[in-house]
Amino acid sequence: MTLVELALYFGLLSLISVGGMPSVMPEMQRFVVDVKGWLTPGEFLQAFAVGQAAPGPNVLIASLIGWKVAGIPGAVVALLAFCFPAAVLAWWVAELWDRFKDAPWRRTTQRAIAPIVVALILSGGFVIATPDSPDWRLWLIAGSSAAAMLLVNVNPLWMLAGGGILGALLL
Amino acid sequence: MNVAPPKKLGELFFGFLWIGARSFGGVLPWAYRTMVEERRWITHADFTETIGLCQFLPGPNIGNASIVLGKRWFGLAGSVVAFLGLMALPFVWVLALFAVYNDFSANPLVKAIVTGVGAAGAGLFVGTAVKLGRALAKKPAALVLIAACFLCVAVARFSLVAVIPAGLLLAWLAARRDWL
Repeated sequence: MTLVELALYFGLLSLISVGGMPSVMPEMQRFVVDVKGWLTPGEFLQAFAVGQAAPGPNVLIASLIGWKVAGIPGAVVALLAFCFPAAVLAWWVAELWDRFKDAPWRRTTQRAIAPIVVALILSGGFVIATPDSPDWRLWLIAGSSAAAMLLVNVNPLWMLAGGGILGALLL
Repeated sequence: MNVAPPKKLGELFFGFLWIGARSFGGVLPWAYRTMVEERRWITHADFTETIGLCQFLPGPNIGNASIVLGKRWFGLAGSVVAFLGLMALPFVWVLALFAVYNDFSANPLVKAIVTGVGAAGAGLFVGTAVKLGRALAKKPAALVLIAACFLCVAVARFSLVAVIPAGLLLAWLAARRDWL
């Protein structure tokens, strides 16, 4: 039953995840932690951390949440549910999108989506860095990593490593 | 520069497997290096255009790119093979890493480090949002939309299932009036 619920919900998220995984992190956290209570806020943050630190698409965070909820079957189901509906859409839309390269509605749509994606990614960062009540130490780590990313152009793994060190010192 | 798409499904599979295998710190740069620079499957312009489409579509960006490119070269079989190649190794890595972590998660130091890594990862999201948002900073309507959307999602914790359709509709109307 849990697996079905997981599949349906991640499938729905798949279709609204404009901007990719970061956009739906707040919603995943809301559903998995607040509504269902499958993970604690701390566990959610740690699953996210492992997903970020491991190589590969960040969509794999979905499989870690699935694993926590329902073991290995949960991991597979969560990943496929999150990818499949969007993949079907991409499969159909790709050619259409090329054909309407110069259509005015295409430009309008692109401009409309940009601010929504920015807001969703920003919300994702805020929600993940604020698992329970606001904690200045987590915000300091997140702020430093954001600043470092904007100031120097290096592999983001360095920011994650820095976050780990700050975590060991502060938390 | 001469580019030629992969000739066999096996080539496609191992290309994407190679992307997934070493994509520490984000897949996009490795996808670029593998497909544009090393194997010369597509041109820079083509890559940028495809990623642009995939960023606009819902779903994992790079996952969608594997679907779109696989389809272009080999049809349905190509999409399936490229997607599986991309996900296979990272899926194993991430579960293995999480299994190791779960064994040590009772250790307060390990927990603190991983929590710190998570907070830094959240910071990368904030940084990405700022980078993308810079292009919109001169448009008041965009800033209002971003702020409203942020308040609804991050502070009030409304469901995205409601916020995204409403936000997109408002944004689309604004874009049509040239406010965005």
